[in-house]
Amino acid sequence: MGNLKIGIPQALLYYEYFPLWKNFLEGLDAEVLISGPTTKEILDLGVKSAISEICFPVKVFYGHVMSLKDRVDYLFVPRMVCVEKSAYFCPKFLGLPDMIKSSLSSLPPLIEPTIDIRKSATNFKNSFLAVGKLFTNNSKKIYQSFHEAQRNLKLYLKSKENELDQKIISQQYNKKLPQRDLKNSLNIAILGHSYLIYDYFINLNLISKLKKAKVNVLTAEMVKKREIKRQLKKLNKPLFWTLSKKALGSAFYFLEKKVDGIIHLTSFECGEDSIIGEIIHQESQKYPSVAYTEFVFDEHTGEIGIDTRTEAFLDMIVRRKRYESNFA
Amino acid sequence: MKVTLPNLGNLTSIAGKALFSNLGHEVILPPPNTKRTLDLGVRYAPEYCCLPLKIVLGNFIEALEKGADTIITVGGWGPCRFGYYSEIQRMILKSLGYKFEMISMEAPRGNLIRMLNYINRLRDKRSLPSFIKALKLAWAKFGTIEELEKEALKARPRENIKGETSQVLKAGLSLIDNTNTIEEIEKIKQKTLCDFNEIIKTNKTKDVIKVKLVGEFYVALEPFVNHNIEEKLGYLGVEVERGVSARPWITSLLKFLRKDNIQEEIIEKAAKPYLAQSVGGEGQSTIGHIVLASEKGMDGAIQVIPFTCMPEVVAETINKKVSEDLDFPVLTLIYDEQTGEEGLVTRLDAFVDLLKMKKPERHPIKR
Ligand code: SF4
Ligand code: SF4
Repeated sequence: MGNLKIGIPQALLYYEYFPLWKNFLEGLDAEVLISGPTTKEILDLGVKSAISEICFPVKVFYGHVMSLKDRVDYLFVPRMVCVEKSAYFCPKFLGLPDMIKSSLSSLPPLIEPTIDIRKSATNFKNSFLAVGKLFTNNSKKIYQSFHEAQRNLKLYLKSKENELDQKIISQQYNKKLPQRDLKNSLNIAILGHSYLIYDYFINLNLISKLKKAKVNVLTAEMVKKREIKRQLKKLNKPLFWTLSKKALGSAFYFLEKKVDGIIHLTSFECGEDSIIGEIIHQESQKYPSVAYTEFVFDEHTGEIGIDTRTEAFLDMIVRRKRYESNFA
Repeated sequence: MKVTLPNLGNLTSIAGKALFSNLGHEVILPPPNTKRTLDLGVRYAPEYCCLPLKIVLGNFIEALEKGADTIITVGGWGPCRFGYYSEIQRMILKSLGYKFEMISMEAPRGNLIRMLNYINRLRDKRSLPSFIKALKLAWAKFGTIEELEKEALKARPRENIKGETSQVLKAGLSLIDNTNTIEEIEKIKQKTLCDFNEIIKTNKTKDVIKVKLVGEFYVALEPFVNHNIEEKLGYLGVEVERGVSARPWITSLLKFLRKDNIQEEIIEKAAKPYLAQSVGGEGQSTIGHIVLASEKGMDGAIQVIPFTCMPEVVAETINKKVSEDLDFPVLTLIYDEQTGEEGLVTRLDAFVDLLKMKKPERHPIKR
């Protein structure tokens, strides 16, 4: 087979898994085309082609699919169901390939492996191996490609433990990232789904703005898995969403560490966010020194509004700190 | 224990009440849903939560005000929000300062001890046989209520005097509420079914429009929330067939005892070509029911969903395609706290008119 062109939409779980997906497909000699960062056109396409009731990030995903569909032989849209015991992705991930196929016409064929480890312990790997069969009969090559890709994913996650994904941020803003200075700068945790945090078009450059304001930005990736697990024990009932577990566990962690502030990025009409937002809010009441706020994003969110709110939030923290140090 | 339950049509106020009072608890039902219930829920629940959570929270507040000290509710384990509702409600009520205990009935996961503990407390030192007897009686009431309600849906579009069916139903339900033996329940059921039959007989040949009602279970089953959609459709001359029942939910609680239900498998199979994976809630069965309703020659389907409902929004996206492929009209109604009666009536009217127009086209060889 010649080099097949596979499109990967840069949206939703792309931000969690792209080193795995991309490297795996490239290892099989496929040409991978990524839709690239969200743009105004992509957003408009998405809003136009998805039903209006669906959550904002899925609309963005639709936009990326639209921008890719005429340029590739296949679209890679895995159905992510379950990757750990007793937790799932949200219903929209469970139905994602079906939604795309039902509402968009003249699509190239989808590559849609179902990832559901409840079926078997080796399901994750097997689904990838099955995808590999589309490209080559050489099992060894598929294996190698998968392992290599997985290693890449691990490295990627590791790199995010220390600093925000430099590549994603600095690609666009070629300025040097401010060094960590825990003494003078504010420590603010930005939490939420990675497809909001790392899509700077959607969050209107929130992170670089915070960095410019000399804020030390913290994310869930910097919290050790073990720590997240420990924090989640505080819940009376275990939470069953993989993505939100990470956000919630790290919120608890940052609260306990008494960072200066937490901003929870949420999307309009997101089912998970409405639940964990409430839990974080309730828990934050126990830590009066930590400022907590929620920024809700949708296609109408304006840059000015977010700027004003960010400034107000930072001002409040600074004022509060001054007040506290006066009494200290 | 002074026990309370969330309102859900006639199910909890009759069958649920029977169960817990026969176990020796004082049952304090929340007052029927009103604007106040909704307002309380909206005030204290997270803004973007779905409507069922808000109203049930309102129920709990109103029941606690009346003196309840134990809340019995249901839970689950994802992937939709339903699984975390009771926990969020518990947290909110605690933060409001209420003193109560919450018992959330859900499939035990890793915590069999907690479950057994709950059952033991609910059993309240009663012997196992009398516990089982109470369960059986409540189950009989539950089944009968659903059956009568479904039969009423057939009678209503055929009644000569508006409201006749609802009256028969109401009378039957209130008798069931007041009886305490399975034999009596059976008698009342037969009598009520006869009465419905009388109504149906008068207009047996009437060619009514047949509509499948699907969607999220709470909105579909709670008349206050769906603005009495079944009755409204009945008065428009539509025979409604419910695609939603609380039954599979209860049997799923007992899933580890029982084998899966064949009916559910048929529905799932019908949905598969469009939605290959269960997406939680009723998402997949919504699609399955629509496909089956079309195959059965019904005239259309109505999907009722709460605003932001996770599984049903997936289903709604896919319905559009199903409806197109099968040339089968589907109306999606989205409910939130602002949903008004008027807008709803207009949309129902228009939809029913459309179905009437389409009917000869869909059933060209009707004799
Ligand atoms: S988790 Fe929230 S934002 Fe993400 S797909 Fe689900 S509903 Fe949408
Ligand atoms: S099915 Fe929909 S309305 Fe019901 S709990 Fe789940 S998300 Fe909410």
